[in-house]
Amino acid sequence: MLQSPSFRAGLRDSVLILFAVGGFGLAYGVLAVSAGFSPWLATFSSIIIVSGAAQFTMIGLLSAGTVPVLIAVTGLGLRHLPMSASLANMIGPQPLSRRLRLAWILVDETFGLTVRAVGAGVEDVVTYKSAADLMLYSGWIIGTAVGAWFGGAIDPEAIGIGVLFSLLFLGLAAPMIRTRRDWIVAAAAVIATIISILLVPAAWQITVAAVAASLVGMVMDE
Amino acid sequence: MSDLALVLVVAVITFATRIAFLIRPRPVPGGPLGRFLEVFPLALFMVIAATGLAAPEGSLAVTPALAGAAGGVIGAIVFKRSLWGVMALGAVAFYVVRALTG
Repeated sequence: MLQSPSFRAGLRDSVLILFAVGGFGLAYGVLAVSAGFSPWLATFSSIIIVSGAAQFTMIGLLSAGTVPVLIAVTGLGLRHLPMSASLANMIGPQPLSRRLRLAWILVDETFGLTVRAVGAGVEDVVTYKSAADLMLYSGWIIGTAVGAWFGGAIDPEAIGIGVLFSLLFLGLAAPMIRTRRDWIVAAAAVIATIISILLVPAAWQITVAAVAASLVGMVMDE
Repeated sequence: MSDLALVLVVAVITFATRIAFLIRPRPVPGGPLGRFLEVFPLALFMVIAATGLAAPEGSLAVTPALAGAAGGVIGAIVFKRSLWGVMALGAVAFYVVRALTG
């Protein structure tokens, strides 16, 4: 696997994500400890949850209680349903253990890279995604651990980590915009986001806006 | 619920939503569902980007992040939709405007 061109391509393409996610993980580690988690629990949460959106939401709503956290995390998690269906289409029939592993790190960043790689004709989708997952998982855990243990000396706000993370997603979306329908879906996504921010509870904004924009694309011809 | 239990429950919920369509191989959806799945990644990424750039604090606001968004769009055009181009020009625009506006 390590010698596979697809594996090397996955590693190469996800270098940027390693640093971006590492920075984001660092911010999570800092915030989790400041919210009351021990450094060990902060790191453990990144090892088993592996979801920036869910983990930041969990920390952000920690003081509000368990129920708001669970509702919000479920709302955010719904976006994984179409992602897992898309990934299932891309990888075809696979052993259960492999599907479990791929689902474990079904995150926006490496999913985006994988979609892009499939569009570019990558040879082995599973190997490509595994390499990208490895990079992301490493960055996320190391970043969290550094932030949790040494976070007092680092200010994620000062480096604008949130903006850099948003730009990463803009950069992942850009190559997907090819047809007239893609342009309309992208524009609909921006409009739906603004409306969601104004009208929808924070935990549901991303899911509602993404589904609304996708419905616009669904009713359009290519 | 203890913090550890909460982390475990969040992990279970997150994994359950991720494994839903991967647990059993299914035929490629066609028709409206197929078209929905086709555009969903683009929609999702644009929404995540727009959320962070238009409302970095949770509500809509004019901030240097909007300059980052503009820089990112210009980077996409200039560098033919390259990920690096979007990030580089977006980051430069964000840092410059933030430095100028304090």
